[in-house]
Amino acid sequence: MMDLTQKQWVKHAVMHPFEGFEDMRWKKSGSLKIAFLIVLLFFFATIAYGRLYGFQFYVSYDKTFNIIPYIVQSIVLFATWVVGNWAVCTLLDGEGSMKNICIYSAYALIPYIAQIYINVILSHFLIRDEYIFMQAVQIIGIGWSVILIFSAIKAVHQYSFGKTVFAILLTIVAMLIMLFLLVLLLSLIQQVYVFFYSIYTELSYRMRV
Amino acid sequence: MSLVFTGVLLGGAMTSIAASADEPYDVYNYDRWGEAIPSQAGYIADRAVSGNDLGVGHFSSPADIFRDHNDIFYIVDSGNNRVVAVDSEFEKVVKVYDEFTMPDGSKTTLSNPKGIYVSEQNDLIYIADNENSRVLICDYDANVVQEITKPTSEVFDQKRTFLPQRVVADKAGNVYVVLGNITTGAAMFNPEGEFMGFYGANRVEPTAEIVGNYIMNLFTSEEKKARQARNVPSGITSFDIDGDFVFTCTSSTTQTTDTVKKLNAAGNNIFSGLTLSFGDFTPMYDTTQNKVMQPQICDIDIADDGNINCLDFTTGRVFQYDEDCNLLFIAGTIAKQVGGFDQVSALESMGNNLYVLDQQKNTVTVFVETSFGKIVHEATSLYNAGYYEEALDPWYEVLKRDGNYRRAYIGVASALLNAGDYEGAMKYAELADTPAIYNKAFEGYRMDFLKENFTTIIVVAVIAIAALVVLSKQLKKRRLAKEAARNAEIDKISKEKEEE
Repeated sequence: MMDLTQKQWVKHAVMHPFEGFEDMRWKKSGSLKIAFLIVLLFFFATIAYGRLYGFQFYVSYDKTFNIIPYIVQSIVLFATWVVGNWAVCTLLDGEGSMKNICIYSAYALIPYIAQIYINVILSHFLIRDEYIFMQAVQIIGIGWSVILIFSAIKAVHQYSFGKTVFAILLTIVAMLIMLFLLVLLLSLIQQVYVFFYSIYTELSYRMRV
Repeated sequence: MSLVFTGVLLGGAMTSIAASADEPYDVYNYDRWGEAIPSQAGYIADRAVSGNDLGVGHFSSPADIFRDHNDIFYIVDSGNNRVVAVDSEFEKVVKVYDEFTMPDGSKTTLSNPKGIYVSEQNDLIYIADNENSRVLICDYDANVVQEITKPTSEVFDQKRTFLPQRVVADKAGNVYVVLGNITTGAAMFNPEGEFMGFYGANRVEPTAEIVGNYIMNLFTSEEKKARQARNVPSGITSFDIDGDFVFTCTSSTTQTTDTVKKLNAAGNNIFSGLTLSFGDFTPMYDTTQNKVMQPQICDIDIADDGNINCLDFTTGRVFQYDEDCNLLFIAGTIAKQVGGFDQVSALESMGNNLYVLDQQKNTVTVFVETSFGKIVHEATSLYNAGYYEEALDPWYEVLKRDGNYRRAYIGVASALLNAGDYEGAMKYAELADTPAIYNKAFEGYRMDFLKENFTTIIVVAVIAIAALVVLSKQLKKRRLAKEAARNAEIDKISKEKEEE
C-alpha cells in the first residue's frame, strides 16, 4: 500500500487534507528538495503578486523595486514559522523534527501559492466588476491552506485537536518575538556601524591635520 | 516604464532652463506620490505696483484687494484709512475713498479698514471698517447708504466686540461678515442689515488630544471643565463668493480640516466628503527660522473660469486649483525680488492674471499666465466640462512641454477612452497610474478582442478539449494495461511461491 513516488506524495498530501499528512508520516515520506522548491515558488509568487498583477487591480505607491520586503514576506516568514514551531513544539512534546516541520508546512502552502499564481493570471483577463471570481479563488486557496497547515502540524507532532490550536497560537507568538528581536538586532548593528564609522571619519580628519 | 523615465529626464532638463529665467524660486508641482518635482511655470511675475507708482503715496499695510464687475480694483489701504480704486491696467487711480458722506450729511472716515466687496447687483461698495466696528455700505460716490453695526440680538454674544475683517454680499443682498474674534462662522445680515445668525462654522478637528479630552471630561467635574481650554475650531479668515457658493479659507498652523470650504446657501460644505489638501503636502522645515512651514491659507479667490486660487501666508505661495481641487500651479515665494513677498495679505484675479497684495512691501504684484499656463488652463476647462476629445490636443501639447504633468496623462487617457482607442487609453492610463481608467479601457479592449477573434477562440477551445479527452483516454488505457500486467506478474510470483 501507498507505494508513491515523492511527486505523488505531494499530490496525496494536498488532496487529502485530513489523512494525507498522517499517511506521509506513517510512510516516513516527504522530500526536503521539493519543500525548498515550494518555498522558492512562494517567493516568486509574492513578487508576482506585487509586480505582475493586471494594471486594473494594481495598487502601487512605490517608485522603486526593492527585493527585501518580498524576501521578508515569503522566505523569512516561512523560516520563522518553521523555527518558531520547532522551538515551541519541542517543549510541548512534539514528535516532529525541524526537517519534517519544514517539509510538511511547505506542502501545506501549495494551495495558497497556487491561488496567487492563478489570481495573477486571472487579473490580466478580468475587469474590476469581475473581481468576485478572483476573490473566490483567493478564499478557497487560503482556506484550503489553513486546513492543510493545521493537519500538517497535527500529524507531524502527533497532537490532539486542542493541543494543535494551542501550539499554532504559541508559534505565532514565537514568530512575533523572533521578528522583534531581529529588528532590534538590525538596528543595534546599524548603531554600532554608525559608531565605528564616526570614529573612522574623526580619525581621518585628524590624520590630515 | 522607459517612457516615464525619459519623460522625467526631459521634463527636468526643460524646467531647469525655464525656471532659471525669471522667477526668484524653483517652480515645482507635485507628482503622483505627493512629492515635489520641478515643473513648468504657469505664472510669472510681471511687475510690482506700489502706491507711489500710482501717484497716491505709499500704501501702508494694505489688507485686501477686490476687483468689481467693471474691472476696477479696490485696494484697502488699512494704514492710511482709505480705499484706492485703480483701473484694470494698474496705470491710474480712478478714485480714492477716504471720506464718506453719511445719510444725514455728516462726514465720516474709516479706521483700519480690512476688507472690501463690490456688489454687481446693486452697485454698492461694502467696506469692513474694522476699528469703527461697522460695515459701511456706500455707492461709488462715497455716499453711505447703510451701516451695519454690532447686532443687538441675543444670539450674538454681547461680551464680544464687533471687528469686521472681510465682507461679501450675495445676489439677494445678504451680507456675510468675517469677524476677527468669532469662531462660529461668518455673521450673516439680511439686506435690511438685521442679524440673521452665523454661517459656515468650521468643524473641530478630531485630534488625539481632543478625543482624549472628551473621554476625560466624562469623569471630570463641572468646575474643572470650566477651567479647561475649550475645544473651538479656528475662525474663518477670508472668503470669496462665486455664483451661489461661498468659498472660505482658514489660516491656522494647527488646523488641517476645513482650511478651504465651498459652502452652499444652506452653509453646508460641498468639499466635506472629499479628502483634500491645500497648500504644500509635506510642509518644509526651515532651518534658518527653526520652524515648520505649515501652510496657512490666508486668502482665497475664485477666478472667472472657476479655478480656485489660494494664498499661503507662510510660504508666500499662490496655489491654483481647478474647480475639482486638482492642483494646477504654484507661484510665488518669500523673497525680495519681484515675484517674492514679505507678508502676503490678499489675492485677486482678473482673466488670466493674478494680483497678490503684500502688506509689508506695500505693493501689488501682477502675475501673468505663461504660454504653458494657457494651454493647461484650456485643457483643464475643456476636460472638466466633459469635452475630453477636444482637450486631447492641448493635453498632448502639455506633455510636450512637461512630461511630468500627470493630469495630462489622465486627460489623454480619458480622451482616448472616449474615442474608443482602448489600447492607447490603456497605455496612457498606465503612464498616469490610474487603474480606474485602465480598467474601463481594458474592458473595451477585451470586448473588441473577443468580437474579432471569437471564431478562432472557439475553434481552438474545441480542438483543445477534444485533444484532452482523447489523451486522457489513451493514458487511462495504458495505465490499466500496466496494472493488469503487474497484477499478472504478482499472481505469477505468488503462484510460484505457493508451488514451492
